[in-house]
Amino acid sequence: MASPAKPTDPNNNNPDRLRAVARYSGIGVQMAATIGLSTWAGYWLDKHFQTETPWFTLGLMLLGLFAALYNVIRAVSNGE
Amino acid sequence: MKRLLFALFCLLSLTARASEPVATTADATESENFNPGEMILHHIGDSHEWHWFTLGETHYTTYLPVIAYRAGNGLSVFSSHELAEGKVHEGLKLEHEHLVSEDGSKVYDFSITKNVASLMLSALVLLVVFTAVARGYAKRGTGAPRGIQSFFEPIIVFVRDEVAKKSIGPKYERYMPYLLTVFFFIWFNNLMGLMPGGANLTGNIAVTMMLALFTLLITLFSSNKNYWAHIFATPGVPKLLLPIMIPVELIGVFVKPFSLMVRLFANITAGHIVTLSFISLIFIFRNLGVAPVSLAFGLFINVLELLVAILQAYIFTLLTAMYIGGAVEDHHDADYQMGGGDGATPAQVH
Repeated sequence: MASPAKPTDPNNNNPDRLRAVARYSGIGVQMAATIGLSTWAGYWLDKHFQTETPWFTLGLMLLGLFAALYNVIRAVSNGE
Repeated sequence: MKRLLFALFCLLSLTARASEPVATTADATESENFNPGEMILHHIGDSHEWHWFTLGETHYTTYLPVIAYRAGNGLSVFSSHELAEGKVHEGLKLEHEHLVSEDGSKVYDFSITKNVASLMLSALVLLVVFTAVARGYAKRGTGAPRGIQSFFEPIIVFVRDEVAKKSIGPKYERYMPYLLTVFFFIWFNNLMGLMPGGANLTGNIAVTMMLALFTLLITLFSSNKNYWAHIFATPGVPKLLLPIMIPVELIGVFVKPFSLMVRLFANITAGHIVTLSFISLIFIFRNLGVAPVSLAFGLFINVLELLVAILQAYIFTLLTAMYIGGAVEDHHDADYQMGGGDGATPAQVH
């Protein structure tokens, strides 16, 4: 009834579920880290070069956003 | 102020006895406001002495060696007792747990701090435990495990079968020493950090950074040409897009260990902060009635941290194994999914 996991089902046993949890939470943290790190790099560059318009922040943030989405899509469509 | 904080720390780390000396602390804090933020940050940070607890007015502290190098004065080695309570020794003093020289010259601090001492202690514990386990295998071979060996065998087998084999594939064997070391190192240190008086080692970003750096180096040094081909000439991507794709792929290489570093640091630090915050509620409200509730919540979080301790060790090991697996993989499943076009076989379940 309420027990979804049959021990015979290889795709639904506990280690595999734990593995999926770890893997997808990893992808999430990675996405946040990509955006955060690239934005920080852009911010630092803007400060270093004392730009009037924060082009580095803008550009690297967008690049980070793109990289994060690209990596998430690639990671989740990677089967495994 | 520092003595006062120390008095508070001991009460906070000895939760079971907290109700007993509360009255004296309340008297003591009458003049100075209790600052939970300062207390918590001090508790999760590193320090030059190892404060265990305080009974009444007596502090039980282990003073650790201070090893400092200055270009002019050379090496100075002395006990951190000489620096206790803001004292100055050999021109050195502690400023917010940072070793600074009085004349403002640069100090290279190689001291055995609380975290370093904790690291050495855990290395010793790991050595003792795992040489005992290894001795068991040397003596009994593949026979039934006994004693401490039978406790660790299922965990070692789990790391081998569920983490290494599934993530790395046939070449898993050469990475087992690192994966097992990193798993047990993080797990043991997480647990030691939860003990009363324990240091917050895995919640120190320098420690997690070194672990993540090892993962990055092992990934890079074991990478094959597929891995690099995927970064510098991503299959199925038009040549014109490569100037964008190469930075994106390179960001991915460095973000992976970066996220490992931040996750472990954030999880362990957050656990300590939440536990201490619940305990601090007693001192913020100065009400004995709050104590049972905040102790219950504190205990709940503490028990939850026992789970987090092994879960974070597992996640770090698993993701490390996956990153290594991605670097040693012979055939990239992603290749045809990114538009390589040759179709081939559907994704294999590893």
